Amino acid sequence: MKRLSRRTVLRGLGGAAIALPFLEAMRPRRARAGTSPRRFVVMFSANGTLPAWTPTGTELDFTLSPILSPLAPHQGDLVIVQGLLQQGGGGDGHQNGISGMLTGTPLNPGPFAGVGAPPAGWATGPSVDQRIAEALAAPTPFRSLELGVQVGAADDWGRMIYRAANQPLPPTDDPVAVYDTIFSDLHTDPTVLARERARHKSILDAVGAEYTRIGGQISSADKQRLDQHLTAIREIETRLTTSLVENNPACADPAVPPVSAQSNDSFPAVGAIQMDLLTMALACDLTRVASLQWSRSVSQVRFTWLGISDGHHDLSHRSDSDTDAVSKLTQINGWYAQQMAGLIARLKATPDAGGGTLFDNTLVLWCNELAKGNTHSRQDAPYVLAGTGGGPLVTGRYLDFEGQGLAHNNLLLSILNAMDIPDTTFGQASWCSGPLAGFV
Amino acid sequence: MLRRLPLCVLLSALSGCHSGGAGTTTTTSSPLCATDPGPAPLRRITRFEYGHALADLTGVDPSIAQNLPPDEETMDFDDIATVYSVSSLHAERYLEAAEQAAAALVANAPLLAAFGSCDPTAGDAGCVAAFTGAFGRRAWRRALTGDEQQAMLQLYAATAAPGPADGVQGVVAAMLQAPQFLYRPEPALDGYALATRLAFMLTAAPPDETLLQAAERGDLATESGLLAQTDRLLAAGRAADLFVHFASEWWEVEGIDTIDKNRSLLRNWTDDTPAALATETSMFLADAWNSGPTLASLLTAPVTFADASLASYYGLPAPAGTGYQRIALDPTRAAGMLTQGAFLAVHAKADQTSPVLRGKFVRAQLFCHPPPPPPPTVVVAPPVVDPRLPTRQRFAQHTADPFCASCHEYMDPIGFAFEHMDATGVWRDTDADQPVDATGSLTDTDVDGDLDGIPSLATKLAGSAQVASCAATQWFRYAFGRSEQTGGDLCTIAALAATLSAPGGDFKQMVRQTVRMAEFRNLPPESQP
Repeated sequence: MKRLSRRTVLRGLGGAAIALPFLEAMRPRRARAGTSPRRFVVMFSANGTLPAWTPTGTELDFTLSPILSPLAPHQGDLVIVQGLLQQGGGGDGHQNGISGMLTGTPLNPGPFAGVGAPPAGWATGPSVDQRIAEALAAPTPFRSLELGVQVGAADDWGRMIYRAANQPLPPTDDPVAVYDTIFSDLHTDPTVLARERARHKSILDAVGAEYTRIGGQISSADKQRLDQHLTAIREIETRLTTSLVENNPACADPAVPPVSAQSNDSFPAVGAIQMDLLTMALACDLTRVASLQWSRSVSQVRFTWLGISDGHHDLSHRSDSDTDAVSKLTQINGWYAQQMAGLIARLKATPDAGGGTLFDNTLVLWCNELAKGNTHSRQDAPYVLAGTGGGPLVTGRYLDFEGQGLAHNNLLLSILNAMDIPDTTFGQASWCSGPLAGFV
Repeated sequence: MLRRLPLCVLLSALSGCHSGGAGTTTTTSSPLCATDPGPAPLRRITRFEYGHALADLTGVDPSIAQNLPPDEETMDFDDIATVYSVSSLHAERYLEAAEQAAAALVANAPLLAAFGSCDPTAGDAGCVAAFTGAFGRRAWRRALTGDEQQAMLQLYAATAAPGPADGVQGVVAAMLQAPQFLYRPEPALDGYALATRLAFMLTAAPPDETLLQAAERGDLATESGLLAQTDRLLAAGRAADLFVHFASEWWEVEGIDTIDKNRSLLRNWTDDTPAALATETSMFLADAWNSGPTLASLLTAPVTFADASLASYYGLPAPAGTGYQRIALDPTRAAGMLTQGAFLAVHAKADQTSPVLRGKFVRAQLFCHPPPPPPPTVVVAPPVVDPRLPTRQRFAQHTADPFCASCHEYMDPIGFAFEHMDATGVWRDTDADQPVDATGSLTDTDVDGDLDGIPSLATKLAGSAQVASCAATQWFRYAFGRSEQTGGDLCTIAALAATLSAPGGDFKQMVRQTVRMAEFRNLPPESQP
């Protein structure tokens, strides 16, 4: 018998920002202590931004740029970081940008042929969210959840999350598939569910044994590939033996309205549904680590809903003196800021099991594979963080590290520290000189 | 400067090995190009192969593969072994699809009967064992070992509830997720392994019963035995599907599904256009395969396929008969794949043509000489352009500025020859109210000269040894699932190119020649465990 109807209307979710008094929104905030699960969410947008994205003012007294102005209702919850070099290596600027963005590692050599660079393979280390998932070791059915919107082909321009070196995790960009994967158990009869799980466990046990068997008969390089597959099977098995602890009244079976997942003009609608699903996956404690990848590096989405018919990547290559392009790119990056604000609003509008809202225990990172599209520069890449993740991070700040020659590995390490993970380096060691001074 | 080295290496490799001509009349029986073989990395079956394999084995529709995560695509192909990756999402989707296919098989009595004379779902132990061995032999492309058989029967016992059909379903589901099915391990290149290579290359699926029996008889150990099976499979209908798949990836037209155009400017484009253009190109390629797939026919044949709706899209008279019909086109305008709407729409922008994309395609995919990258110091920030100008004038800066010209002179003059075809692949006489100028030029090739329109380009390409060599290279990459790396690889490609461009040679002959190569028939020494 269904406990929850698929038609259940999302409770309290709709993207409406909570109207905080202006001064309240501006004030730096510290985390509430609590016992609720701690969470980390990444959002990606593509093709760099414009130099004018940065706020003006000082660390605690700053004014948001027009691009970031949609985040104004949440200004007191933000940490904006500028002035870092987003390190990367191997492949072309987009390739090593998106691959190094969260891993802090260069690409392996491989056959993905970029522009003006030797062909590259996959990144050489895990992404920061996966390090967090590993350290949290949460008893959730899903170790992490990779969602996307029109992410395109399976190559290293379209992958940002890495389980480990050479193990990119593909984002799912069809909301119906996401729903079927993560929420279908919610409305399956418990007896049927138990029987299905036991059966799948038997089958996967037998399958896993064959991976071990064949792995012993082939070269060691090939065996590594089968070992990766075996690890993936074990993750599914773990999921089958992990029960959903549904102790949050805000956990409801989300609605998935019909939408054409790959049609250019449904980009905003698909993204909205994915953010609803992501929020609900956190509310139901199905996972504590999630990501949302809007398109991919070199994104050619046409922002027709903003009246822009050019492809985004084409626009991003136009000259700084091209006022038409600058105006359109300001709109596009502002639109992504609005989506970030929508994600924050969803988290703030959803109660957490231990009191407060999901947002109180979630740290959100918005990042981009480049700083600037027309130069492919990764110097001064844009980072916007929101929330404390239930840890020591103080929000309502603008941190400018310009001129210090620091790589973003330091930021990734600082994020780990903000999640109370006491690592001392992250990614390529030579790019990481330690946590960012004054971040936590 | 330009990357000319591969061709030089190719030519010298050709002179140093026995190319064997067109392959049909040769009596050579030892494998060709046996020196310095390339690697043989473990291959995973692609989505295309997975769909066909499940269709053959369980009767489901091949579209079941669409639920799997997309294959990694490198060098435009979906089967390059060194880049595939696995995640829990993959494992999850393999589980779902395997369960679905297993349920379909168990419910399909006639198909089930192909795996034994008794019905395993009745629960007789001997019958279940016989089915497990028979299904395993097809899905895993070889006889099961005793240990494997025992492991599957244990799984049967664990899952045969509430009834024996559930156990049979469990065994099938497990076999379809096992590495023996999803991957192509080759501990040795015995008859079974050769049959598997041949079957995936020509049918995108595991070997059929006839091929398995040939392998078990030892027929594939001789070249004549191998060629007999090759000829049988080349004559079967699936080979045409395979050629369509290969050529679609090579010509980058698979992306047509996700192409959209600015419909306020290009009003003929509708929601139905991508599927119609995909159908057209698939039918063109299948027809080319069936009627003698020479390189020249692929590049120059002034024919296509259209129904009344697509004919109207192109501004052509509706064909006689219903559905898609083969229609002859004006040879002064049309030239094989080069004027297919899908090809032209993919290699264009959403609102305008792109001489850069079209010229780059010709260089990279037909000559295998990708344009040299811009110097690392270049700031790729093109100037503001006036959208009211014709395409050629908007691209004038590419040649006026020496910095831009260093790259663009390599692409744009080829792309200009396509200017009569707009961004949706439809003929136009004017561009921005001026008569279209489709003149251009081909430089730094073995068929240099002036161009005026696509047919003039097509004729040159069809006569180019470099293009034939590149076509062979593309097939090599697809067939072996990797890039060319060693002297043996280059020798193999040269032999394939010689077969393709020999008098009477075509893609069928080249595919047939592939199985005569040492790299097809032997494993490299270091891959032995």
